[in-house]
Amino acid sequence: MFFNSLTFAIFLPIVFVLYWFVFNKNKTTQNTLLIIASYYFYSCWDWRFLFLLVFSTFLDYYTGIRIEKSQKESGRKFWFWLSIGVNLGFLGMFKYYNFFTTSFAELANGFGLKTSPFLLDVVLPVGISFYTFHGLSYVIDIYYKRIKAEYNFVDYSLFVSYFPLLVAGPIERATHLLPEIKEKRSFNFEQAKAGIYQMLWGLVKKVVIADTCATYANAIFDHYPSMNSGSLILGAVYFAFQIYGDFSGYSDMALGMSKLFGLELLRNFNYPYFSRDIAEFWRRWHISLSSWFRDYLYIPLGGSKGGMWMKIRNTFIIFLVSGFWHGANWTYVVWGFINALYFLPLLLRKSNRNNIDTVVLDKSWNSVKVVANILLTFALSCLAWVFFRASTITDAFLYLKKMFTNGVFASQYLANERYNYELLLMLLAFVAVEWNHRTKEEPISGKYQTVKLALCLTSIIALGTYSDYKEFIYFQF
Amino acid sequence: MKQFILFTIKTIIIILLLAVLLDYAYTTVYAHSNNRNKIEDVYNSKNRNYDVVILGSSRANNHFVSEMFEQKGLKTFNYGISGGHLFEADLLLKLMMERHYKIKTVILEADLNLSNEKRSETVAANFLPYIHRSEIIKEHFSKEPDFNSLYYIPFYRYVNFDELIGFREFYKTLSNQSTNVLDKGGFHALKQNKKGRMKNDISTLKPLKNKYYEDIKAICVANKINFIAVMTPMCENTKGIDYFEKVKKAYPEIHNYEKVVTADKYFSSCGHMNANGAKIFTARILQDFFSN
Repeated sequence: MFFNSLTFAIFLPIVFVLYWFVFNKNKTTQNTLLIIASYYFYSCWDWRFLFLLVFSTFLDYYTGIRIEKSQKESGRKFWFWLSIGVNLGFLGMFKYYNFFTTSFAELANGFGLKTSPFLLDVVLPVGISFYTFHGLSYVIDIYYKRIKAEYNFVDYSLFVSYFPLLVAGPIERATHLLPEIKEKRSFNFEQAKAGIYQMLWGLVKKVVIADTCATYANAIFDHYPSMNSGSLILGAVYFAFQIYGDFSGYSDMALGMSKLFGLELLRNFNYPYFSRDIAEFWRRWHISLSSWFRDYLYIPLGGSKGGMWMKIRNTFIIFLVSGFWHGANWTYVVWGFINALYFLPLLLRKSNRNNIDTVVLDKSWNSVKVVANILLTFALSCLAWVFFRASTITDAFLYLKKMFTNGVFASQYLANERYNYELLLMLLAFVAVEWNHRTKEEPISGKYQTVKLALCLTSIIALGTYSDYKEFIYFQF
Repeated sequence: MKQFILFTIKTIIIILLLAVLLDYAYTTVYAHSNNRNKIEDVYNSKNRNYDVVILGSSRANNHFVSEMFEQKGLKTFNYGISGGHLFEADLLLKLMMERHYKIKTVILEADLNLSNEKRSETVAANFLPYIHRSEIIKEHFSKEPDFNSLYYIPFYRYVNFDELIGFREFYKTLSNQSTNVLDKGGFHALKQNKKGRMKNDISTLKPLKNKYYEDIKAICVANKINFIAVMTPMCENTKGIDYFEKVKKAYPEIHNYEKVVTADKYFSSCGHMNANGAKIFTARILQDFFSN
């Protein structure tokens, strides 16, 4: 059941009505309903993996309490490492086992050793990377005594399995979401309206921008050997908008629908393509994952407290791990590595925290420099996205090679019977709308909201891509 | 909550109004276009006279050279549609009758397409803009499982088939960008395949007692149209080629021309002849049926 499906359009209003009119007695009834809805939502993919979700929930709930209750440090450590080990064990088994096994076998074959690796015939449980990270952050925070263990199983279960964020984030923190869950929610019209607006804008990003760009990007990436330089550049740009529209659109829908239930989730995107350098980009892209790695990996590794070499080492580690988190393929690791390389000059010049304010343009030369920096950052991210999108590292390098050496920039007819430049006008309009509303979460609220709402609905109805349906990219992670 | 309910009602009303307005706009634009595909060409025409009308799938569209019929003095149009099934061929003929066409002969390519009675999603969609304006189209779609959604939900058909009749096609129609499907009397010539030996596997296909085929036959009888059904050539290396014999058994009136052209050099793909193959095949059809 996808957020942009007809079944979800029926599911959400039913849960909403039950939540505010039937189960509104107290927070326990509200939370119970949301858990039932969440488990139903999750079981629509594959009910068998529901057991994994429940087990993971119970494990972290129980170990969290045991860590808190343990009198001795050894006991605390035991329960802590048990939780970490089992969580990462599941993630490793389902997501990385086959990858490591085949990579090892290929390496062995390279040395002339014949191996026949044992591979698991399992499907990756949807959302496992996200709910595992929920549980991990909870247990780590208890171990380091940042939070108290949650004794109410219903509340804790909802924290892990809350359906808007269950399958593709944002990755929530117990310090942020649990206090909200523990309060009875009262209906707030302004919050709900803002939620509807954010959901609709998320839908625009998904069905109008991402899925349309996907049609073009797929046609170019799948046939890159026959594409000219101009087309390959556009292919990378289209994919950049596809993945942004897809993932930030999903996040907007998750945040928006959560507001309908009176819960505010962590913001996951903050107009990343308006970043002036790559450090700013990573403060604005998939914020919940970046901050997760910062808090639970970068800082425990020493963060930026040590010397320059330690900073560089830690930066490379979190980018490589972040890349690997996305999927069991070397292309993601290389994507992470390239981003670390981009980050390196900023780190060496100690300018990685230069751009933390909102971009403001005026008629000065400085604005020209700002725009140039934004364009350069976008271009760099597009080059890195080629590795994220390509099937293999070889494909990515060949794609880039052809992009720089082919030298032909004529409009090219694509395999999907479309010309290459048709989409650009729509993307320019989208960028203009986002730019004008970059201080807000969505562009519909504020002045002339009814007109903007109508325009937004028109674009969803008339410009959306529906027949060539594409799943959310981040569901596979 | 009352405020929110009112807000939700307002939003739903906006959606409905938009759907109705967009539906009207799209339908109006499609109802005035006749240069992008064969279906709108027929829908937006009246009282045409043809000596020969060709119907069928791409195996009609790529195989019957209309100009060769014209050279014989026969006013001909190839209404074969790539990807089309007999569902659409039948509806197109019905639409021609509704538009008072006078046709002397219908040549129907009836071979592989006899094996299913489903509509072709890619072709049938082009009839949908007119579903409220043509009783024939409405009636033809009425037994389809999604008829109610397509007919009663405003703009649903344009959303559901957005790749075919959605914004992109709407914009091209509105800006009067024509296609070449109506050139050369509707015949579309294919180039020779240079990739070497071709093959195909049709061993899973079984000819049905196809209701749309029967319907086309009945329309021709009712309107005193000479009806010629033919099987068109396949390449030599086709697995399950006995399918054509099965068709002949089920429908003795269908003329089997499957073996008229077989050499790979006359094919673009195993099921589709190139321009040279089409000329040989058309010459044979003209000789057998229109030699007088």
